[in-house]
Amino acid sequence: MKTVSRGEPMDATVLRELRAIVGADHVRHADGDVAAYARDATPLFSARPGAVVHPGSTEEVSAVLKLAGARSVPVVPRGAGSNLCAATVPLSGGIVLVLTRLDRILEISADELLAVCQPGVTTAELSGAVAAHGLLYAPDPGSRTVATIGGTIATCAGGLRGLKYGVTRNYVLGLQAVLATGEVVRTGGRLWKDVAGYDLTRLLTGSEGTLGVITEATVALTPAPEASGTGLAYFATLADAGRAVARIIGSGLLPATLEFLDARCIDAVESYARLGLRTDAGALLLFGDDGDASPVGRHLARMAELCLVEGALDATVAGAAAESEALLAARRCALPALSRLGSVTILEDASVPRPRIAEMVDRIDAIAGRHDLTIATFGHAGDGNLHPTCIVDAGDTDATERAHHAFGDIFRTAMELGGTITGEHGVGAAKLPYLTERLGAGQMALLRRIKAAFDPAGILNPGKLGS
Amino acid sequence: MNGFTPELLDRCISCGFCLPACPTYALTKDETSSPRGRITLMRALEEGTLPGNDLRLQEESSFCLGCRACETVCPAGVQYGALLEEWRDRQWQGTRRPLIVWLLMSAVNSPWRVRLLGLFRRHARTRPSPSGPHLMLGCFERALYPEVSRAARRLHPELAAPAAQGCCGALHAHNGDSARGRQMAAELGERLPGTIVTTSGGCAAHLADVLGRDRVKEISEYSTGEDLPETGARIALQDSCHLRNGLGVWREPRALLERMGEYVELPSAGSCCGAAGSYALVRPRDSARILDAKLDEIEAAGIDYLAVVNPGCHRQLEQGLRRRKSSVRVVHLAELAAGAVRPADR
Repeated sequence: MKTVSRGEPMDATVLRELRAIVGADHVRHADGDVAAYARDATPLFSARPGAVVHPGSTEEVSAVLKLAGARSVPVVPRGAGSNLCAATVPLSGGIVLVLTRLDRILEISADELLAVCQPGVTTAELSGAVAAHGLLYAPDPGSRTVATIGGTIATCAGGLRGLKYGVTRNYVLGLQAVLATGEVVRTGGRLWKDVAGYDLTRLLTGSEGTLGVITEATVALTPAPEASGTGLAYFATLADAGRAVARIIGSGLLPATLEFLDARCIDAVESYARLGLRTDAGALLLFGDDGDASPVGRHLARMAELCLVEGALDATVAGAAAESEALLAARRCALPALSRLGSVTILEDASVPRPRIAEMVDRIDAIAGRHDLTIATFGHAGDGNLHPTCIVDAGDTDATERAHHAFGDIFRTAMELGGTITGEHGVGAAKLPYLTERLGAGQMALLRRIKAAFDPAGILNPGKLGS
Repeated sequence: MNGFTPELLDRCISCGFCLPACPTYALTKDETSSPRGRITLMRALEEGTLPGNDLRLQEESSFCLGCRACETVCPAGVQYGALLEEWRDRQWQGTRRPLIVWLLMSAVNSPWRVRLLGLFRRHARTRPSPSGPHLMLGCFERALYPEVSRAARRLHPELAAPAAQGCCGALHAHNGDSARGRQMAAELGERLPGTIVTTSGGCAAHLADVLGRDRVKEISEYSTGEDLPETGARIALQDSCHLRNGLGVWREPRALLERMGEYVELPSAGSCCGAAGSYALVRPRDSARILDAKLDEIEAAGIDYLAVVNPGCHRQLEQGLRRRKSSVRVVHLAELAAGAVRPADR
């Protein structure tokens, strides 16, 4: 746990030059003006920046980075600050560079199946705008209404459609980014096939603001499916639900959505959303598909049937589209809803090969017991991506300490089962201590060499990836 | 000076789901002007990492509209409205309270002053009833829109409307004196036994908070089985923020309007018009920025009437549309329902 209450005050000359670049209204440095930027959606990490800068163009971003490089001032790029790995907490102070003013969708092309937008557009705004053209932007993180496109690319956000559609990296065709030196680069472009050079687009995707600042993105779209639907199955235990997942995928179906909640999560979500979920079940599986109406209906019915074969207490297909949307919306709220059980929710993001899900869930339960903690688990069953969430009371430092030990155990267990320490939330400051265990010393050194090539002065998001 | 209630402040886990619901975040795209950012500021105040006289703390406690739209999208169940009251209780003391707010609060601080406001206005008035139901006349509503209470009584003749009832105290509660605000609501509850029916969504939410949900009925909740006039007009609605976000009442006024004409749902019907109690007087420029987009929408909708369920919205929209020389008429829902709006008025 790292807590820094006050950042270093920003040098007066630097402030003056920043104001000359972006305008006085868009540079803030007083304590009260920067306090809200000390944290993002990650609990237990907080550090105030020296200044908060809201640039209005790529040129301004470039000028800010040149200045920061010359003065060795750290720069932490930030979208809406909804990430869950403390990626945007300015651990070394400096400038938080907020991209929310760059909020225009520049182009939607139905012919080319792509959209070009600025980084501050939210995922939901982009999805809504392309939907009006009969198109789909597939990445669908739980925070879609909040999270910006720039932020979701920088963290390679996943979401509820991962199994069938993949994650953010599968949809980024090209980027415009400003490197730490102020150089503006364009990577990739508008082409699905383009192997000219190293794939810098993919390298920047998921780089968490450590290699460059994304100032424009070209993303791939697909035609919007004609129909989509969801269904619900309840099980006595998560292990039963895990077997149903294996059976569904083994049957040749590729569901668009396959999400699960354990009993604690069902309770919490129900107390927020009041959908009439069964709170006596041990696990809930939310399954969904999209495509042409007739196969979607068939697939959903088949999934419900397979759940019953695996001993589901009950399995039903949602009637109306509104009902499906309500179920998905409720699932997206699982994490914040869990905070009804305690004021600090420490969420993790371990991912295991799909067949090991049930085993992983059992091991998490055992770890929770061993450390005397309340851990609720939800996640993306189709991707093997679990979100064990530890709920503790604010100020209970002993429980917080135990939670950190428990998560160490959980990460190691995930790796032992062939999994990873983070499936979709990112490394940030929160998981950096575990990264060497995952990647090994050799690969860590390679990461640092890549970082140095992009950011020789080490000013971009220090203390995170590649540091 | 009281601190924040720890349970209220601890509830927020900073997920940020509130950002897109916040009108001031939409204006600024600045975390500091979002509900999550403001809660971070409240925590800094509570922990002493920001001093109470910090200019930004002062500014944000005032810039917030207090519309509570964030509460409806908060999966964690943060009671932001209650936190804002506690924040202003701490920060809006003495000379830090805007002068205009101080004047308004003084004007409604006792029943005789409230009576004075309506002295020469033809608002409804009857003897008190020993068991209710009573019509709340409001403080400023009785002076600004006396026709609303008359319409409410035409619709519901059983409602008693004594002039000596005082103010519900919402103004105090939202402007740094929540203790007095609660006391005023409790006193009004004693003066008006039985069910209290109000034509003001904002008052309804505050009264319900103090007196209990069962005692209070907003007029569109109370009006269900009446014969309603068919106006033949196109009608839209501006929700009252606290009625919608605080009490969850938004279907009811729509159901009534649908029976009276062709109901048109404005895309931003549920979001704040910028009146926000005394906000339009304290921060006229920000209030106008919030209002402007809504006025564009109203003018584009081709409607005859814009129905309101709160006097603050009534005044804000009426003035805004008048400035634009719009032909859309702003009327209280009760006036439409009571047939008080003549076709010639259209």
